[in-house]
Amino acid sequence: MTNHWIDIKNADVILVMGANPAENHPISMKWIARARENGAKFIVVDPRFTRTAAKADVYAPMRSGTDIAFLGGMIKHILDNNLYFRQYVSEYTNATFLVNPEFKGPWQLDGLFSGYDEKGRKYDKKTWSFQTDENGLPKKDPSMKDPNCVFQLLRKQYARYTLDKVSDITGTPKEKLLEIYGLYASTGKPNRSGTELYAMGWTQHTIGTQNIRAMCIIQLLLGNIGIAGGGINALRGESNVQGSTDHGLLFNILPGYLPAPTATIPDLKTYNEKFTPKTKNPKSVNWWGNRPKYITSYLKAIYGTKATKDNDFGYAWLPKLDEGMNCSWLMLFDQMFKGKFEGFFAWGQNPACSGANANKVRKALAKLKWMVNVNLFDNETGSFWKGPGMNPKDIQTEVFFLPACSSVEKEGSITNSGRLAQWRTAAIEPMGQSKPDSDIMNELYFRVRRLYQKQGGKTPAPILNLTWDYGEKGPDGKVRKVDIHRVAEEINGSYLEDIFDSKATPPKQLGKRGTLCTNFVTLQADGTTSCGNWIFSGSYTQKDGKKTNMMSRRGKNDPTGLGLFSGWAWAWPVNRRIIYNRASVDPQGRPWDSKRAVIKWNPTKPDPNTKKPGVWEGDVPDGPAPPMAMEGGKYPFIMMATGMGGIFGPGLAEGPFPEHYEALECPLQENLMSKQRINPTIKLFYDKSSGAAEDVYYSCDVRYPFVATTYRVSEHWQTGVLTRHEPWQLEMQPQMFIEMSKELAKEKGIKDGDKVIVSSGRGKLWAIAIVTERFKPFRVANSTIHQVGMPWCFGWQYPEDGSSGDSSNLLTPTIGDANTMIPESKAFMVNVEKA
Amino acid sequence: MARKALLISPERCIGCRGCQTACKEWNHLPGTKTVNRGTVENPPDLTPYLYNRIRYIETATEADMVRWLFVSQRCMHCGDAGCIKICPAPGALFRTKEGAVAFNKEKCIGCKLCVAGCPFDVPRYDDKDKISKCHLCYDRTSEGLLPACAKTCPTGAIRYGERDALIGMAKKEGYGKVYGEADLDGLGALYAFIDPPKLYGMSEKPAIPESVVFWHKVLKPLAYIGLGGAVAAAVLHYVAFGPKKDEEVKKDE
Amino acid sequence: MNKMVRKANAFEIVNHWVLAGSFFVLAVSGFGFLFQLEQLNSVFGSFNTMKVWHNWAGVVFIVSLVLTIVHYLSVSLRFTSDDMEWFSKAGGYLSRRVKAPPQDELNAGQKLYYLVVLVAGIAISASGLVIWLRPASSDITRLVLISHLIHNICFDLLVFAIPAHIYLATLANPGTFRIMVYGTVPLEWARKRHQKWVQKIGV
Repeated sequence: MTNHWIDIKNADVILVMGANPAENHPISMKWIARARENGAKFIVVDPRFTRTAAKADVYAPMRSGTDIAFLGGMIKHILDNNLYFRQYVSEYTNATFLVNPEFKGPWQLDGLFSGYDEKGRKYDKKTWSFQTDENGLPKKDPSMKDPNCVFQLLRKQYARYTLDKVSDITGTPKEKLLEIYGLYASTGKPNRSGTELYAMGWTQHTIGTQNIRAMCIIQLLLGNIGIAGGGINALRGESNVQGSTDHGLLFNILPGYLPAPTATIPDLKTYNEKFTPKTKNPKSVNWWGNRPKYITSYLKAIYGTKATKDNDFGYAWLPKLDEGMNCSWLMLFDQMFKGKFEGFFAWGQNPACSGANANKVRKALAKLKWMVNVNLFDNETGSFWKGPGMNPKDIQTEVFFLPACSSVEKEGSITNSGRLAQWRTAAIEPMGQSKPDSDIMNELYFRVRRLYQKQGGKTPAPILNLTWDYGEKGPDGKVRKVDIHRVAEEINGSYLEDIFDSKATPPKQLGKRGTLCTNFVTLQADGTTSCGNWIFSGSYTQKDGKKTNMMSRRGKNDPTGLGLFSGWAWAWPVNRRIIYNRASVDPQGRPWDSKRAVIKWNPTKPDPNTKKPGVWEGDVPDGPAPPMAMEGGKYPFIMMATGMGGIFGPGLAEGPFPEHYEALECPLQENLMSKQRINPTIKLFYDKSSGAAEDVYYSCDVRYPFVATTYRVSEHWQTGVLTRHEPWQLEMQPQMFIEMSKELAKEKGIKDGDKVIVSSGRGKLWAIAIVTERFKPFRVANSTIHQVGMPWCFGWQYPEDGSSGDSSNLLTPTIGDANTMIPESKAFMVNVEKA
Repeated sequence: MARKALLISPERCIGCRGCQTACKEWNHLPGTKTVNRGTVENPPDLTPYLYNRIRYIETATEADMVRWLFVSQRCMHCGDAGCIKICPAPGALFRTKEGAVAFNKEKCIGCKLCVAGCPFDVPRYDDKDKISKCHLCYDRTSEGLLPACAKTCPTGAIRYGERDALIGMAKKEGYGKVYGEADLDGLGALYAFIDPPKLYGMSEKPAIPESVVFWHKVLKPLAYIGLGGAVAAAVLHYVAFGPKKDEEVKKDE
Repeated sequence: MNKMVRKANAFEIVNHWVLAGSFFVLAVSGFGFLFQLEQLNSVFGSFNTMKVWHNWAGVVFIVSLVLTIVHYLSVSLRFTSDDMEWFSKAGGYLSRRVKAPPQDELNAGQKLYYLVVLVAGIAISASGLVIWLRPASSDITRLVLISHLIHNICFDLLVFAIPAHIYLATLANPGTFRIMVYGTVPLEWARKRHQKWVQKIGV
């Protein structure tokens, strides 16, 4: 989330697309309701009329996987009707930048951008660049009329997304498109705000990242980023997914979104050169220019005194990816399936049900020598060897189960979608032999460490040099019990030496040796500071010797009335509740909308630090620098090297502008937009000449004629491991179901409550039919296309009588987004027959 | 004490059923085995172990647009409660000082007359043949806590408070009429409906069964009058005519 | 001297008292339920045990009532012109002068009383059984409501009829009560009241 949960109440228009908050994020509906009571309009776009849609002012159905067409039409509508926020677009985004004249787009290359390498299924992005002046700064045309400027290219790209074409692709009636485009575009005025909420309905597509990009472009055009009631807001699927991602959950990032090093980057200097963007524009904050401080402080945090300037702060000990190596979920299980893994820790997850193409996942588990299942309960993953179609005699995998305690049995922080880190205390002692994850990790660490000490091993240094001062140690040097506060302190960081601001005369002391860091601004690249995760620096601070866990604060003051609640817990970065908030004011520092001022520049009030007049009021601003138009002023998008919001985004695999491609499995023979049917840059696991049969897919195939999607329900948590054991939840949602239209049911002779068999190229399962008015057939390219939907919360193992059915992920394909490799679970093809 | 009530706003309800679970949790009610019947709604009806449930009503409208209504079904805590009226066991069903209709299983004699007396088909009987229904968490409200359902509702679709204030609140929110404002001496579960109650599966004019009213108003007093009358008649007769003595019979002869 | 004739046999006497006793329990507990007389807890302990007493007294009542059918039904259904005259003279109860016509084993009033008890007894029993044995389901709400109504109408009827019966059998007619104790009455007493019967048995 660029904004936060409570901020939804400040919106004038709320667009929910790719999410179902009423069922999956119920608390968000409180703020949506609050906004509606204040006159906001609530739009829901979803293939199915969901519980969220039931609350909408405007609902539009849309065929799964056609979001870019839908949003592309909106961009065209905004541009054609001059509904964009002109000053915002020209001053705060890269719309004015001139693009390399050799750059060509889908309107010229029939669905492709310039630089496509068909064999490698990737782009050479050389032409996706800006024209630069003698200082290396992008050339601009403030009038945005130059045919090569981003704004004009944007026009060209979306000129093809006509109402007819979009309606033909999405199946959304034209009048609904117009109604929604008009309503959402009404937020392009300075005093109107629009927010977008999305979740897996946008990400779990082969074009997932571009779905979000398309919305980012709209939000920038309408001036909705940085303001109260605006933003682009990912509703995270679990209460702490944001936190786990922040702390380096993904294979390609270290904590704090520092890129994971690759084998081709031999030392820290090269790493810093590669990943530290530079700019000569004094108005650009270019925050990532601080990267060396963060990586060095991170290395100091994990290797402590072992990390010295002479040994590159232990950079060599960090694990390295091979260049181009992808260790995402799909790839891991593909490798496991191919027998490349010996062991696997299934920690707090249930891939046998949650993994796309779960049959392949289950087969992959059988190729392991050992598996450790860390969970509250045994699940379909831990017991895969006795699951359907498995012969325990043939399976050699040794499975260990480590009981983890639940979130209420342990202390620690969780970081929600709004980047708010809230501290929780333990309500009860862990039950039975269960332990907090941190203690399980502690055990594991010391045992592995002991083995390295005794046996040496190939690369003992990364383990032997780790700091692990997370609690009182026993005579064997092992931490008896992890004190999670020490972990939080390590994440926040501390000063290893006295730190001075050398620019000030006389040098001003910023930090005192041995105390906790104030925030990341004081972190150093020379090894004198340590910080486990720079974005969390400031979450656990120390003043006059007294340590304060900022995350456990419970202040309830809301002076702005915007719901910032700055005294409640702590949000990264530096307790900023709305990021890019410098874009919520005009270049003079006056709020675009004075009624909803996130920050505002007070030119007369003295700055408490510098004592000079002029200070920001409201939320924590994106840097203390004065407004953009003033002396020393800075651009609003501080994380971009150019300081500008990226309407042209050359970083992604598919191209700098989102382009509609069909899902890997789709009901159409051709993409109505271009000759390029599917995303040209996705990695194909299967084609007719290669690939495992498990990865087969069928597009536009009579055997699998219906579009399918998967989703969650409010009654179950993820794969249901926690909730299926809970009779209250199971009572409400006892069995696998499939929702379908009355029209499809009639065609297939299916009645409400009938048991049906759903099959895809990868698997089949039974489900109870919910025949409903809430699903309607789509009119797409002059034919009728039916869509069905299923939850993925069930599994064969529990309830023990098998009455719940199995996971819909048995049907989903092995294919991922070209940038993130998130599996495409939201659009694939199935068949449905009466059982 | 001012009468307390629930204000249920289907317009705000998102059908998440947190209330269903919270109620079960607080009241230690077990989950029961169910099946999917081709709908999200489950269990299909109130049970002795389900005091509150969300009904999912799907209606197609003229504009070919579907509507999906979520309505909490539960005891309505009538001001004039048919169940209390018909109940023969003192203290089995009673009115709390907050105005809710609560029950005491120990005093319940399992006669199930309340089932017949209820205009909303609410009371259920558990496996020990004791009444079981929503009691508006009087064990919470008497301690100043919110009922479990209202406490857990994320959107304010179930609000608890002073009845008059809630009615005022609903009117301020634009609801001209509040369901249960006057019926049955005012319901303790008020509903803010934007459409006629029928659409939400509620009767337009809920009332205690006529036979129960007749029984209450006529037959009950008659029982006293009958007994008293018979005794009085006997006394009168004895005084006026005296006993039929054999002598008299003889004389007459 | 006072020759005695047998008016009731041992079975009739026992059954009468069984019926009367069960009714007494039913009526007292019935009043308790109707008006929630918590004072009765000192007798029954609790309403739950009172309900048990009420229900099982009802079973005894039903058995006893069925047995009376065998004994009195045929007699009670036979109404003669004398019976009609008896009614028109109100059995002679409302005047010291009016002479009641000769009566059989049971006088017309007794027959009528029996029939009232029989009909009301059957109705109150049947409706009572419905209320007692109903399933928990609300599908039969109408039946329960009708039963509830009948049960209470009959109760009202009986709480009127029974005290009348007691009065007539005791204070109003001295000497009658002994029938339900010894089973015999003086012949003279019988001649006065049940002339036709006395003639019939030929004493």
